[in-house]
Amino acid sequence: MGNNGKESVIRRGNSALARRSETMERFITPVADIYETADAFVVKLDMPGATKDSISVGVEPGNLTAKGVVGEYHGQNSDLLLGEIGRRSYYREFNLTEGIDHKDVEAEFEDGVLTIRLPKSEKMRTKEIPIK
Amino acid sequence: MSLIRWNPARQLERWSPDFLGVQREINRLFDDFFRGGMQSDTTLGPSYWTPAVDIVEEDDQFVVKMELPGVNKEDVKITLETNILTVQGEKKHEKEEKGENTYRAERSYGAFQRSFTLPTTVKSDKIDAVYKDGVLAVTLPKAEEARPKQIEVKVK
Repeated sequence: MGNNGKESVIRRGNSALARRSETMERFITPVADIYETADAFVVKLDMPGATKDSISVGVEPGNLTAKGVVGEYHGQNSDLLLGEIGRRSYYREFNLTEGIDHKDVEAEFEDGVLTIRLPKSEKMRTKEIPIK
Repeated sequence: MSLIRWNPARQLERWSPDFLGVQREINRLFDDFFRGGMQSDTTLGPSYWTPAVDIVEEDDQFVVKMELPGVNKEDVKITLETNILTVQGEKKHEKEEKGENTYRAERSYGAFQRSFTLPTTVKSDKIDAVYKDGVLAVTLPKAEEARPKQIEVKVK
């Protein structure tokens, strides 16, 4: 993230605001785990209640976005006794480091968890050097 | 059956959802702060978390929705004792490749447990639970005597 951190915060704030005026839905920032393996970066986002069809992942140089919309909500004739979840949708943006193979990014949504796999380009991979 | 701590805020739920929202945020801050070693509730093990819940009352049933992203449904246990519904379980770490570098670890893992007192009796043999897209939905049909009755008054 480094010196680009500030910019991404500003961008995220603006887009969240714009979206808020579009709909009455609450866009929240899903929590994430990010880790790096020998050949890829892996981003995992908790998006419980989002439908598979609504998930969209955008990758462009330096930028990753993930979005999901929660499907069904409670019926009209219902009385909310406890409301911690509410009507919510998910949006989050990340800065991407250089050296990612954009065309081979994979995303999977299972049990409310979005897993995005960003393969490193050939030159970024950890190579094992055989000892002669 | 474990003891359920008395929660005075529960009485306020119907009247002031906003108050509860603020209180929940504060609780969360404390939960985050104390996570890892200092919490008083040792029954849940070294790390625990609190999933978010919505409870909805309809004419003929209650629906309890709990956010459990990434939890295996085999690791969830639902029990009803008198009017107390308890959902407990554990979210295990997914089998992942050995992460050499971790950049963010915001997601919760470990044991969870929540209990709720239902305002009326329910048909304990008709309770249904579905886990879909990371959300557990428990449907509890009200017992006959608890349903609203319509009494027709004839005007003479």
